[in-house]
Amino acid sequence: MAAYIIRRVVWTVPVVLLVIFMTFTLMKQIEGNPFRKTERAVPAAVQANLERKFNLDRPWYVQYANYVRGVATGDLGPSLVLRDRTVNDIVEEQFPRSIELGLLAFGWAVLLGVPAGVLAALKPNSRFDYGSMLFSNVGFALPNFLVATLLIYFVSVKWGVLPTSGWTTWQHKILPSFTLGLVPMAYFARLVRGTMLETLQQDYVRTARAKGLRRRRVVGVHVLRNSLIPVVTAAAPLLGYIITGSFIVENIFAVPGIGRYYVTAVSARDYSVVMGLTVLLSIIVIVANLVVDILYGILDPRTREART
Amino acid sequence: MRLRVPLLSAAALLVAVALVAAGCGGGGDKKGAGGDGKQAAQQVLRMAWGAEPPSLDPGLATDTTSSNVLLNIMDPLVRLGDDQQPVPALAESWDVDGKVVTFHLRDDGRWTNGDPVTAHDFEYSWKRTLDPKLAADYAYQLYGIVGAQAYNEAKPAQAAALRDKVGVKALDDRTLQVTLTSAQPWFVQQMAHHSFLAVHRPTVEKHGAKWTEPGNIVTNGAFKLAGWKHDASITLVKNADWRNADEVALDRVEGRIIVDGTTRVQAFEAGEVDALDGGGLPPADMARLKQLPEYEKYPALGTYYYGFNLKNIPDVNQRRAMAFAIDRRSIIDNVAQADQIPATGMVPQGMPGFDVIKQDFLPVRADLDKAREFMDRAKSPKRKITLFYNDSPGHKEIAVAVQGMWKELGIDVTIKAQEWAQYLQFLGPPPSDAVYVYRLGWIGDYVDPMNFLELWTSKSGNNNSRFASPAYDRLIEQARSTADDDARYELYRQAEAMLTGPQGELPITPIYWYTYTNLERESVKDTFHINLLDQFDLSKVVIEEA
Repeated sequence: MAAYIIRRVVWTVPVVLLVIFMTFTLMKQIEGNPFRKTERAVPAAVQANLERKFNLDRPWYVQYANYVRGVATGDLGPSLVLRDRTVNDIVEEQFPRSIELGLLAFGWAVLLGVPAGVLAALKPNSRFDYGSMLFSNVGFALPNFLVATLLIYFVSVKWGVLPTSGWTTWQHKILPSFTLGLVPMAYFARLVRGTMLETLQQDYVRTARAKGLRRRRVVGVHVLRNSLIPVVTAAAPLLGYIITGSFIVENIFAVPGIGRYYVTAVSARDYSVVMGLTVLLSIIVIVANLVVDILYGILDPRTREART
Repeated sequence: MRLRVPLLSAAALLVAVALVAAGCGGGGDKKGAGGDGKQAAQQVLRMAWGAEPPSLDPGLATDTTSSNVLLNIMDPLVRLGDDQQPVPALAESWDVDGKVVTFHLRDDGRWTNGDPVTAHDFEYSWKRTLDPKLAADYAYQLYGIVGAQAYNEAKPAQAAALRDKVGVKALDDRTLQVTLTSAQPWFVQQMAHHSFLAVHRPTVEKHGAKWTEPGNIVTNGAFKLAGWKHDASITLVKNADWRNADEVALDRVEGRIIVDGTTRVQAFEAGEVDALDGGGLPPADMARLKQLPEYEKYPALGTYYYGFNLKNIPDVNQRRAMAFAIDRRSIIDNVAQADQIPATGMVPQGMPGFDVIKQDFLPVRADLDKAREFMDRAKSPKRKITLFYNDSPGHKEIAVAVQGMWKELGIDVTIKAQEWAQYLQFLGPPPSDAVYVYRLGWIGDYVDPMNFLELWTSKSGNNNSRFASPAYDRLIEQARSTADDDARYELYRQAEAMLTGPQGELPITPIYWYTYTNLERESVKDTFHINLLDQFDLSKVVIEEA
């Protein structure tokens, strides 16, 4: 197992290098000038000064080498647009908030989605099953921005129960995390229901029942554990999605996280921010996948053997 | 000067639908406009800012939000008065002698660390903004000063020598002498722009790029920056040591940064904030918001226009026909809906000299008879054209309306959207050959028609129409050094006529002149005011008892 983990960690390096290279190449391909933010033309001298300051006047391979060197030493460079801040400043200050938002959303998904799926599977074709699947379908189909605006309109403006936006007290955190958690919640509910129904048909479940084990124990120990494997598989990419896909939610609820920068930095052609965040995201996804693989081993002993 | 994150227009639309469906009529139980004038005991203003300020360094800021924070924590030499003339602020007076302008500073200007504000601070700050090493986006705002452009363009080796040749000099602590490249009658008034604010040298030198953080920053205005949580909040507190602190009512301004326009409005309607920053209301909600007693509008110095690519639509009669077919009134009433003013020229209404400069050629309402007449006169008119716009909210709806209006002339218009950064690149100058018509707007930096008319000189970086007229260029150059207002306005009148007059070339057809729209609680509505340049002075705001 240890050798496996080490091998996987070492493999991260070429993957990150490839990600940097591809992002770098793609960003250079799209048109647009990071220093022209408004319709105002940028005088040639100003443009030249800016390019010199941010080393954009150097050949691309020098820029690339500089960048890789920066990443290796943990320096993601200055933002081209937010002139008082570096990419490190942005990440350090705002990334924790996105992680918090993502984890809270994930919490909603596990807390509500998994039980809904379990209960639906235990009582298939019951009213509860239909109810939770309807909720799951609706949760899946409604876009974030609609849910967010409707929630703000009713919960905050109309009923005055929770604040509209911001990220200061726990009350502020309820609506954004619920909104962001809705899709994974719906996804988990469906996934758990499906795999549980399948597991319930397995021979070993029938055997366990035949042995005279109580239903609660069969479901709790044998069924649930085996049904969770696909959930864990789905969780890793979902975590990446939750943290980065929070652009809309962060924007609407004015959450000062980093999700919005994934989009605004691209529109602003803020190369260093785009690169920094892409590197960060790829590392998150790599780590999340690694964690999932380790969890697999714990949940399913068969996979442990195959990898050592 | 706007830097706005594009909103999700689809979201806005859906919200509008949802709100209508929910039967929301808006708060209709408000009393008449204005409070009873009694000052409330608690002077705390809760504001929603529409963006995170990208920089609070006067040398580096380029957007409206940064500018408005800056102009409340820093003291400009002059402010823009109600009659669009400069009024004394940190400078108590000034002398203009041809190309030489001398400012006399007050003796009670103080930095928040106790240091006096001197003319040397200004000399240092302006030269810092021009320093090629700082690479300030807005360095060109200072190009009217002798030697400024040369220094800003300098290669590192010559920079030091050129720095000393910049025409700004502190003669003593309180006298700042500026030498200009030509007599620029608007120069004094230009001091109201944030690019001309002073920075505190020891602070800048000590903290480098981090000098603007709340713990480091040293300012000299009516308010102090007490807190700045990036993307979340900006807290200003009254600066008790400011020169006119006695006249400042507000103790605190608690600002929240809410980028999404719809959420900003909802935060206001939920009673969480007392005023928005004038950054515009969501187009989809306009019809409803206009009915609120808290709705407020201000004239702006800006022109929303459609430009023609003269290469693709070479016949002026076709351009005239297209300009006459546009129903400006209908676009404002039915599409834009923010009480804009139908624009019949490049120079916006409210500009000093407007009454002299304006042309009465283009109609407010569509004049289809005349339009068809012009179209008949056009030699081989283009019947299949493409109209480009950027994908921010509101532009598409106007493009669709215009598409319909031009159909009346037998012109088949394809409309295409582009993302902002790509769009700007696409428009050049010179514009891509795919462009027949493009949308753009211009918001003034200072109050003189020059700021609008110089866009259309042949070498201007904002002339996206391929309009090139040596006679026009000469007029603008002549105006640049004509100090006398009446004589200059006459030159501007001729220039405007060359653009939008009866004999004009129509490189553009203006659609509307902008307004700023805002929501302000009635307790502050009387004193919260946004001027022509989108600036608001919080030192004048008083919270009245409801």
